[in-house]
Amino acid sequence: MKDLKTYLESGILEQYVFGDLSNEEKLDVENNALQYPEVRKELEEIENALMSYARSNAIEPSEKVKTNFLNSINTIDQVNNSPSINTGGASLRNLQFYKYAFAASLSLLFLSGILLIDLNNKLNESYVQLAVLQSDNQKFSNQVNYKENELRDTKNALQFYKNPAAYKLVTLKGSAKAPEASLLVALNENKEEVMIDLSSLNMPSNDQEHQYQLWAMVDGKPVDLGVFDAKDDSTGMKRMKFIKDAQAFAVTLEPKGGSLNPTMDKMMAIGNI
Amino acid sequence: MGLKTKITLSEPELVHAIQKKDKSGAEALYDMYSSSLYGVIFRIVQHEEIAEDLLQDTFIRIWNSFSSYDASKGRLFTWMVNVARNIAIDKTRSKEFRNSSKTEDIENNVLTLDKKVNSEINPEIIGLKDLIEKLKPEHKIILDLVYFEGFTHVEVAEKLEIPLGTVKTRLRNAIITLRKVFN
Repeated sequence: MKDLKTYLESGILEQYVFGDLSNEEKLDVENNALQYPEVRKELEEIENALMSYARSNAIEPSEKVKTNFLNSINTIDQVNNSPSINTGGASLRNLQFYKYAFAASLSLLFLSGILLIDLNNKLNESYVQLAVLQSDNQKFSNQVNYKENELRDTKNALQFYKNPAAYKLVTLKGSAKAPEASLLVALNENKEEVMIDLSSLNMPSNDQEHQYQLWAMVDGKPVDLGVFDAKDDSTGMKRMKFIKDAQAFAVTLEPKGGSLNPTMDKMMAIGNI
Repeated sequence: MGLKTKITLSEPELVHAIQKKDKSGAEALYDMYSSSLYGVIFRIVQHEEIAEDLLQDTFIRIWNSFSSYDASKGRLFTWMVNVARNIAIDKTRSKEFRNSSKTEDIENNVLTLDKKVNSEINPEIIGLKDLIEKLKPEHKIILDLVYFEGFTHVEVAEKLEIPLGTVKTRLRNAIITLRKVFN
């Protein structure tokens, strides 16, 4: 270069920095900068001076510009690679946020745990109460059944006492085996009814495995008329099965539920019609 | 401001971080240069909201076309201020912009701007403001037209009705004054 000083003072380097040169002129300056350290130094000083000038005229924009900018570009978050850089306000704020969020989640978890345990206890209490109620219910329904049976027996007795003329009364007397035993049987041929008067029953109480069975003798053959229990507090009239043309009634002690044929040596009472 | 930690990196570190598309690079880029670039853009468009939109556009353009920056040909800021200025000037030439902003008195704008700059709490500026006053007014007006408003030398010569050579000399002298003050 003929005269470096003239070149430096020509103003072309300033124009280069201002971006006010044609492409050709630009390339020329860049070549000179590579070739002459003085040119490079001069350019640097111009740039630094202008950068400082710009900084002295700086105006702070509002925060939202930064947020918008960061949200609208693609970046790679390299947290682990550069820990010194990541003390930025945003990441600190994030960390702070996650801390609180974590604490809040823990509290919620704890609270739900307590509520769950409490609910479970209440549920168990309800199960117990339900079981008690069910057992009470069963008790009542048993009582109702018992009362219904009693009512039915009482009604039968009432029918008998309302119209005694229609009934033929047969008194069964104790056999050799049980001389004390006796039982009153009422027979109504018209209504086809056979009833026994439990209040007149005078027989030993049967145990759980046995029941008394009433038989009718028809043409010398025994016919089953049903079973009954003998208890101390038995009352009322119990309706039994009916058979036509019976000549006699007899009671035997049989296994629970009754037998097909009477066990003759357990004959308790017998009476002819 | 000032309470918040701003990220600062050396220029080679920053360039490297931006090339890697590192998020902290984007934050550092913004923290280090947003106010300087905003100062330039605001001077050109004279409208806060528009200037902030353009500042955002500027950073997005810088980020997305960073491959066109060549560190061997100059400092990063020189390249960025050119991007910012071009975006702002393009805006002022758009029809929509000329319709919306009434031609305002330049003197008024300078007044509001000076007020705005002064109101900023920027420790770097304190003291420097006086030194800037050393710039002769006829130097300062040319420097500001070219640097902040993107006038070409020829346009300045026409606007101020002075020879092109005088523009170049005054501009050079203005920069020499700045160099004495800052460097």
